[in-house]
Amino acid sequence: MSEVRAVRNLRICSKDCLCLYVCPTGATDTETGQIDFSKCIGCGVCSKACPSGAISMVPYQYPKQQTKDDLVIAKLNKLIQSKVEQEQMAEYIYKNSNDSIEKQLAKAIIRANRLMTEDLYREAGFMLPQSKNTKDFLKNLLQQTKDETLKKDIEKLIDLLDFNE
Amino acid sequence: MKKYICPICGYVYDEEKEGIKFDDLPDDWKCPLCGAPKNLFKAEAIEVVVSEEDDEEELREMNYGEISALCSSLARGCEKQYLGEESKLFTKLANYYKSKSEIKESSSFEELVSKINNDLETNYQKARSVASEKEDRGALRVITWGEKVTMILKSLLEQYKNDKDFIKNTKVYVCDICGFIYVGDEKPEICPVCKVPSFKLLEVERGA
Ligand code: SF4
Ligand code: SF4
Ligand SMILES: [Fe+2]
Repeated sequence: MSEVRAVRNLRICSKDCLCLYVCPTGATDTETGQIDFSKCIGCGVCSKACPSGAISMVPYQYPKQQTKDDLVIAKLNKLIQSKVEQEQMAEYIYKNSNDSIEKQLAKAIIRANRLMTEDLYREAGFMLPQSKNTKDFLKNLLQQTKDETLKKDIEKLIDLLDFNE
Repeated sequence: MKKYICPICGYVYDEEKEGIKFDDLPDDWKCPLCGAPKNLFKAEAIEVVVSEEDDEEELREMNYGEISALCSSLARGCEKQYLGEESKLFTKLANYYKSKSEIKESSSFEELVSKINNDLETNYQKARSVASEKEDRGALRVITWGEKVTMILKSLLEQYKNDKDFIKNTKVYVCDICGFIYVGDEKPEICPVCKVPSFKLLEVERGA
């Protein structure tokens, strides 16, 4: 298997040019608009031919994520804890309000806090889905849950993700 | 005995070494390195030893809300890598744990503001000092963005308290990258916090 595959960014692609002609395996022509990964040999010709920069060569394997200092993680976790609580507070306001403007503001606050928390987690040791931290986290979840469908989903994720450490 | 520091070049005047009190130097004394005038010099702050005890992170289990947020963060990570199936599965987990996460028994915008104040006055400060000390640029980045987003959130809640109608005839957007909330008719060309182009600023609809 090659080390990279071509991926088309469908939001940028103008759908009317060269990539169909240059691909040696016909991988760029599919009914979904995305490239057929099973045919792609990672040669990169389509990416070079694309006038819009719509095709990236995406690696299958990622380098290990940067290690984080424990104290930095502890401080970011404090912020995470607080933002999650704020999301839940806004959730309460949202569910218990009858005022459409108040609800709208609460919704914006829910979203803002969620985005901040997600971003904090990336810097607190969970940048890469293929990292050991993610693997340990998923295995932990798997042990804790008794929900059978959930278990299957977690197992599938562990199976799909190409952990790199 | 104190030390005095030049704010321009960082030169340190050490009373102990020089043998002359800084105050006793003539008024026209200047920084020997850069020539900055005497009155700009600042006494070195006595080092405050911040006690770490109060937040020695108790090893605690993540709660459901936190699990949910970590899963949605990983879903985004997978999406960036064009891993559609993985992304969907993480989103499914995020929704599952969100539905299990407890909702506050009661809450109000006032209580939210006090949490926000605690972030701005304490949590961001502490995080910033540790991240600078460890030279973690990524952490400094998330702290800087988050602090700005949080300050703006606070000012919105204050405006709302004074005049509940200030959003009535306008729109609300949230930056899908950093969480910046914008209230206004026309969204800015780029997010003022994270600088992403405006198409990432998503409107928050006003429901029924
Ligand atoms: S990288 Fe090569 S094989 Fe893959 S889609 Fe592009 S042109 Fe075709
Ligand atoms: S060359 Fe690029 S922009 Fe043109 S159709 Fe192919 S992917 Fe889309
Ligand atoms: Fe932003």
